[in-house]
Amino acid sequence: MEKVEVILNNKTGLHARPASVITKVASRFKSDIKITKDGREGNAKSIVSILSIAAVYGDSLFISAEGIDDMEAITTIKQLIENNFVE
Amino acid sequence: MFGLFKKDKEVSFIAPMEGEVVDIVEVPDQVFSRKMVGDGIAIKPTTGVVVAPCNGKIVSLLPSNHAVGIIDDDGIEILIHVGIDTVELKGKGLKSFVNVGDVVKKGDLLIEADLKFIESAGKSTITPIIITNMGNVKEIVKIQGNVEVGKGEVMKILIKA
Repeated sequence: MEKVEVILNNKTGLHARPASVITKVASRFKSDIKITKDGREGNAKSIVSILSIAAVYGDSLFISAEGIDDMEAITTIKQLIENNFVE
Repeated sequence: MFGLFKKDKEVSFIAPMEGEVVDIVEVPDQVFSRKMVGDGIAIKPTTGVVVAPCNGKIVSLLPSNHAVGIIDDDGIEILIHVGIDTVELKGKGLKSFVNVGDVVKKGDLLIEADLKFIESAGKSTITPIIITNMGNVKEIVKIQGNVEVGKGEVMKILIKA
C-alpha cells in the first residue's frame, strides 16, 4: 500500500469538475485508490464518493492506493491535484 | 429443463425538479455534456424545488449546497447538480434540507434553489441528473417533455441482472 499527502489548492474546493478529472485519471489504474480527509474516505474512481469527502480549499488530503500500479497511481493523482487538475 | 433466467431489474426515478427535460448533451458544461461522470438527463427548471427522485441515502452534499449524491436502494449512484458553475455562488441562493447520511424517500425535499438569484448571478440553472455508476447499468430510458416535480417518471434504469 502506498500513501501520500497533498494540500488542496483549488479555491472552489473538490467540486464536480475537479472530482470528475480525478475519477477519469484514477480509472486508468488497476489499483484501488482512496482519497481521505479527516478520516472521511472516498473511492477515487467514483465521483459521488469523492464528493462525499467534501474537501475544501486548504484541506490536507491523503491519497492511498493498493495494487500493482499503486506508486504510479498516487504520484499521478498527487501531481494532478498540485497542478490544479490540469492533466 | 426450465431455464432460470435472471431478469434485469427496472428502477424508476421520478422528476426531481419541475420544468423541461433536455438531453444531457445540451448541457453547457463538458463535464456533463460529454458524459464524463455518467449518463442521464438535465432539467431546465421552472421552480427551485429539488426532491429525491428515488428512495435511498444521501452520500454527498457539497458545502455550497449545489450538488447532492444519492445511492438508491438498488445501489444506483445518482448525482443532482443544481445549475452550472454554481459552486462559485458559495451557497448563496441555495438551501439544503438534508444531511449526509440521511435516508430519503421519493419526493423528499432536498434543496431549494433561488432560480432568479442564480440567473442574475450569470449562471445557468440547467440541472443535470446523472447516474454515475454506469458499470452496473444496462440501459437508461429517458423521458422527454415537461415534468412536474415529484410526479411522474423521468428516467427508467435497467440494472444488469
